[in-house]
Amino acid sequence: MTLEDILAVRPSPGVPRAYQFPPFEREVLPSGMQVLTVNVPGRPLISANLIVRQGASDEPALFGGVTVLAARALTEGTERYPGLELIEASERLGATLHAEASWDAFAVSVEVAAPRLRAALELLAELVLHPTFPEEDVARLRDERLNDLLQARAEPRRRVEQAFAASIYTADSAYARPAAGDEESVPRLGREELTQIHRALLNPERTALVVGGDLSGLDLAAMAAEVFGALGSAPRGRSDGDVVGAPVAHSGLDRTIVRLYHRPGSVQSEVRIGHMGLTRSVPDFHAVQVMASILGGLFNSRLQMNLREEKGYTYGIGAGFEMRRSAGPFAVRTAVHTAVTVPAIAESLAELRRIRDSRVTEAELLAARDYLVGVFPLRFETPGAVVAALGGLFVHSLPDDELARYRPMVEAVTAEDVQRAALEHVDPDRVAIVVVGDADAIANDLDAAAFGELEIVREDVLGDQPEGQAEDVE
Amino acid sequence: MTAPTIAFTDERLSNGLRVIIAEDHLAPVAAVCIWYDVGSKHEVDGKTGFAHLFEHVMFQGSRHVAKTEHMSLVQAAGGTMNGTTWLDRTNYFETMPSHQLELALWLEADRMATLLDALNQANLDNQREVVKNEKRSSYDNRPYGQWFHKLQAHVFPAPHPYNHPTIGSMEDLDAASIEDVASFFRTYYAPNNAVLAIAGDVDPTQARVWVERYFGSIPANSAIPPLGDMSLPPTLGGEVREIVEDQVPLARHYFGFRAPRFGDSRSDAMELAAQILAGGKGSRLYRRLVREDRVAQDVAFFSLGLIGGASIVAGQATVRPGVALDVVEKAFEDELERLGREPVTDDELARARALIETYELEALQRVDERADRLAMYATLVDDPDLINRQLDRYLAVTAADIQAVAAEFLVPDNRVVLTYIPAAQSQGEETAA
Repeated sequence: MTLEDILAVRPSPGVPRAYQFPPFEREVLPSGMQVLTVNVPGRPLISANLIVRQGASDEPALFGGVTVLAARALTEGTERYPGLELIEASERLGATLHAEASWDAFAVSVEVAAPRLRAALELLAELVLHPTFPEEDVARLRDERLNDLLQARAEPRRRVEQAFAASIYTADSAYARPAAGDEESVPRLGREELTQIHRALLNPERTALVVGGDLSGLDLAAMAAEVFGALGSAPRGRSDGDVVGAPVAHSGLDRTIVRLYHRPGSVQSEVRIGHMGLTRSVPDFHAVQVMASILGGLFNSRLQMNLREEKGYTYGIGAGFEMRRSAGPFAVRTAVHTAVTVPAIAESLAELRRIRDSRVTEAELLAARDYLVGVFPLRFETPGAVVAALGGLFVHSLPDDELARYRPMVEAVTAEDVQRAALEHVDPDRVAIVVVGDADAIANDLDAAAFGELEIVREDVLGDQPEGQAEDVE
Repeated sequence: MTAPTIAFTDERLSNGLRVIIAEDHLAPVAAVCIWYDVGSKHEVDGKTGFAHLFEHVMFQGSRHVAKTEHMSLVQAAGGTMNGTTWLDRTNYFETMPSHQLELALWLEADRMATLLDALNQANLDNQREVVKNEKRSSYDNRPYGQWFHKLQAHVFPAPHPYNHPTIGSMEDLDAASIEDVASFFRTYYAPNNAVLAIAGDVDPTQARVWVERYFGSIPANSAIPPLGDMSLPPTLGGEVREIVEDQVPLARHYFGFRAPRFGDSRSDAMELAAQILAGGKGSRLYRRLVREDRVAQDVAFFSLGLIGGASIVAGQATVRPGVALDVVEKAFEDELERLGREPVTDDELARARALIETYELEALQRVDERADRLAMYATLVDDPDLINRQLDRYLAVTAADIQAVAAEFLVPDNRVVLTYIPAAQSQGEETAA
């Protein structure tokens, strides 16, 4: 056969290897803390994540950013290990302890070789249970956040994200502000506020330890009971039934609005188009996933094919739902050459209408379903990814079989389901169109296009330097 | 913990294609990675950015694959894919459910054999616009966006092939023609200029049959022009300084140094030095500039391995508002010079080794990383077995090795200092536009 004969025949797939999401076990300690373990043979690097179902959306607006700052300050010293001694001890184990808070959760994670897991968990527990939040280190981290806000304002991608959030939610929605706090709330944060939020976080009934990797020979439940036993006896945080988990998202849109943030000399416009979206607990989750993939998730999504591969307006464009415990944003995201800002927005809106107005083709449906089903095992190749997914189950209070049933649920999505999901969850007539770009170059065209009421925000992109910081530096 | 040995086969087809296969059945995943020995260092004046533009064209179809169908076929098979271009090389990769391995091999073979059949002006023009938008969003429209381009120009003065950015210039991108694409393809995209690595849940015998079938009769190019001499003096021989005004709220220093080339044992010591200097909160630069002196908002220090004459190591420190620029610069430089003056402590070395061990093990868990490393070590230093020895090389680095490499390279005479300052700061008040 010639090379031409050989290449003219597309190969067909072999027989897929049987796959199931790794089964996990759940133990509940006497304190109420859950221990989720997943044994992945042959993976000597263990991934462990202590996760608390309480995040930035659960904090008082007055102290916005306190949960994120508490997570950052956790590594500044503990009762037994002042200063950087705990960091150094974990580094000796080859382990990096990573603490972070999101809207939904507070988490401390570590990756470590199996023989050193016990020692690493002891350090993790010390970090979670006994941080000291030294005043001067808290002040430093607070200043770092204020400086970071300056950087966020000058970086068009970060600027547009924050402006978009503030545009789609009412001002009293937690999601309207940055999870790490803003210029008003952050200066209020000190040792006392961090200590209070930390006390509230220490609630075993809202806490899970998730561990994955080759766990042969390890009794994780016993290890967790010993290492985290003090969590049950610590001063009790707020119990369930309080504000934790209460809805924090309210749509601020009853019509389409256009906000243009002037950034002189921008060679591109950063564009976000969307509205309040969905919670993770939405009943038609799988239909939404397929719909969003076709619209703006796949490499060859409708938005990509139109704005990138046909028009060349952008390096990339995507759309999707960020699902949180309350309704996170739905957004089309792209950066386009300044000169094509208006046509790029028009094309994006046209795609939002098209996904609602007619059914997707059978080929589109199959391509999206086959991708989501086929790529699922690839997503969970390592224990770290499996642990993260199980943490998500816990945070969103999803059923234990949520991951195991993901693939059959996606397989069952029909073109009708996709259209219904689009009609219910995408509303091109009530969107915020937020642009960070050169207003001198695009404001007139944007006004003439009449997508909606136009507001132009001309502000100093470099912001004002926060006062008092120079004095803080010794 | 000892790292598991990664067993692999390493052979050449009769047309020169180097084929490396590493079998591992832990997950039902197979990775394909192909490295072409061509990068932006092969570009000549007036044609910068071409290797990368060409990489985009590789996704615009070949004789049996329509425009963007490469992505559709891989994704419908449940796989992921991409390509990247760098100074030394261009790579393309697919990570697939293992029963779809053959599709990925066929896709790579079809474009290696028949790319030019699908090449047309409309596709080239479309991808030219996409790449120009990539340049805008990755560099031109970002605060501090040109820092690396400026550092590389100073560390590798013209006419060195590393002098210009991989993304190229707008003028050169505009000038790229169909003829340029065709000639570039015929010259460099030949099997004898490529390494194909396959890793993961594969039957090596079957994989070898497929590779021979799809790639075996693609003709070699016996006339690949050799790259010119890329050798350089080991150090700059003097300090270079540049101040850049930009739309940035905080000043930032970038530091660049010429460094031993990728594969040189001194680059292992440099890696440990980078870990001790800026690898996390326990590191020297973080501890002093961010935590204790509180003069910097953040710090970084890392090396970028290159094979042509020398590599580059780079660092940065963002200056806190109200702090004098030279205070931060001096503290940063002082920590680098201290590394050359006195040996690191046993504890620092032990911590750095332990962390690097974990990072290596973490990275090599994934089959796409294994395929990439095998192809990388084969392409850059003709030694794919480095995948099994690199960690030991890191762990063998001594305090004396670190001191020696710092004393030779992290010194004023080998230093570029690039300082970004807020444009408003020098112009007085910014005009309210």
